[in-house]
Amino acid sequence: MAQHQSFESRLARFRLVNAWWIRPACYAVSIVVLLAVWQAFGHSFGVLFVPFTETMRRLWAMLQSGPLLPGLLVSSKLYFVTLLINIVLGVGLGLALARIKLFAAAFEPYIYILYATPTISLVPFVSVIFGFEFGSRVLVSVLISIFPVLLGTLEGARSIPRQHLDVAAIFGSSEAQLWRDVIVPYVTPFAMSGIKQSIALSMVGTLVAEFFLNPDGLAAVLLQGTTIVDSGWVLAVTVFIAAIAVVLVGIGELIERYLVRWRQQAVG
Amino acid sequence: MSAMRRPRWATRERLAPVVAGLVLMAIWEIWVRATLPDFVARPSGIVMAIPSTVASLEFWFDVAATLGSILEGVIIGSAVGVLIGVAMGRVREIDWFLSTYIRALYALPLVALVPIVILWVGYQPAARLIIVIISVFLPVAVTTADGTRAINKDYLDVGMMFGARTRDVWFGIALPSAMPFIVAGIELGFARGITNAIAVEVLASVKGMGMSVFTKSNELNENASLVYVVCLAIFAVGVRAGMIRFRHWLAPWYRGSH
Repeated sequence: MAQHQSFESRLARFRLVNAWWIRPACYAVSIVVLLAVWQAFGHSFGVLFVPFTETMRRLWAMLQSGPLLPGLLVSSKLYFVTLLINIVLGVGLGLALARIKLFAAAFEPYIYILYATPTISLVPFVSVIFGFEFGSRVLVSVLISIFPVLLGTLEGARSIPRQHLDVAAIFGSSEAQLWRDVIVPYVTPFAMSGIKQSIALSMVGTLVAEFFLNPDGLAAVLLQGTTIVDSGWVLAVTVFIAAIAVVLVGIGELIERYLVRWRQQAVG
Repeated sequence: MSAMRRPRWATRERLAPVVAGLVLMAIWEIWVRATLPDFVARPSGIVMAIPSTVASLEFWFDVAATLGSILEGVIIGSAVGVLIGVAMGRVREIDWFLSTYIRALYALPLVALVPIVILWVGYQPAARLIIVIISVFLPVAVTTADGTRAINKDYLDVGMMFGARTRDVWFGIALPSAMPFIVAGIELGFARGITNAIAVEVLASVKGMGMSVFTKSNELNENASLVYVVCLAIFAVGVRAGMIRFRHWLAPWYRGSH
């Protein structure tokens, strides 16, 4: 028992004294371990798993003269159209639902049902009606990624304090003034946190739309590797997609950090 | 006058969704009948297709395969996620070490992992199980770590006073107080698990409900395909509602995000 406690306290002292390097060391060790294990196992499974260095070599080759950049171009187009629609339509619908109460009461249950339903299962129905082209892809992609913006905006618009609206009414603001001075400033942070989530989610939507409606873009490149059973190909593309995803999540986090500062300034 | 004819429970807010639902169905029905080929699914066709679909043995095999695999994945993923999450929440070196992997995997759309998993385990049901486990493990590990990291200092002090060992602190203090976080993580993972299970079925041709949605549609049996979609939707909505209720019962004060 005593020994147990002394170990804990010694550990606590060690952490206190060495606090400045432990954290970066943990990050560094985790990356080194990952690469070492990947490299070591890579040689032992033959064609099913290629080592890290081989994956990087393949990635480099595919970036220089392969299908990766053309695929990325195709996917980016779908991604940005999706994101734009999510922002415009999500914020617009969210505000409309918040302002027209009966509308919200009527359609909210169906919005939640649509949100919970796995969108992939709707792909055949969508493709029967709208075909397999760009429009269908956009529809599927938007159905996957619009909800954080829509529901975030709705929540924000609903939580505007009654007093703010009353004061605006007492001072006789017009509808335009009410929007400019009360609604927009209040709802913006809520909408932005939805948009932050949608930045990452739109990529999920893009990939799903490309996977399940006649493969196209990066998803098609990925599937090509599975068809020819080339694990180097598949790993390289997966790493490439992961890198893009990490960057998108990073952008979302930057926006959030900016928002938090902006909110503090607005309040204080 | 109108108040007398309308019963008290039938407020405008309660009637609105019913009316909206009927209007949406009517628009769908009329639109398909008027402008689209006969095989396209429409509400009346879906209702008519229910008996023959539900009566087939194949339907119940699909339901058992998909839901069984999802439940198995949720149980395994939650258990592993809780264990690793507690370790991350209580020992910050473990948190730092693992957060590199977990953040990268968390950012990556899990559909993108399906091809490599197919390559490793083949076009097999195991691919679906693995993807569901990962889908559940990630959010559960993250929320468990958040929940166990932020436990009340007073609980720890009292625990120390009564000579709590490390494992008492982990599983006797940290875990119970992180319960609402864990349930929120399972809720999120469950929803993702359902979606990703269907994604694997379609990409890897694994038999199940998601696969049948696509095969029925390819056979131009659109109404039967939509019966499967409706069943999946009922399951997904039911899981969501059930988890929210469970969380409210467990921790009425906790408000999760959607």
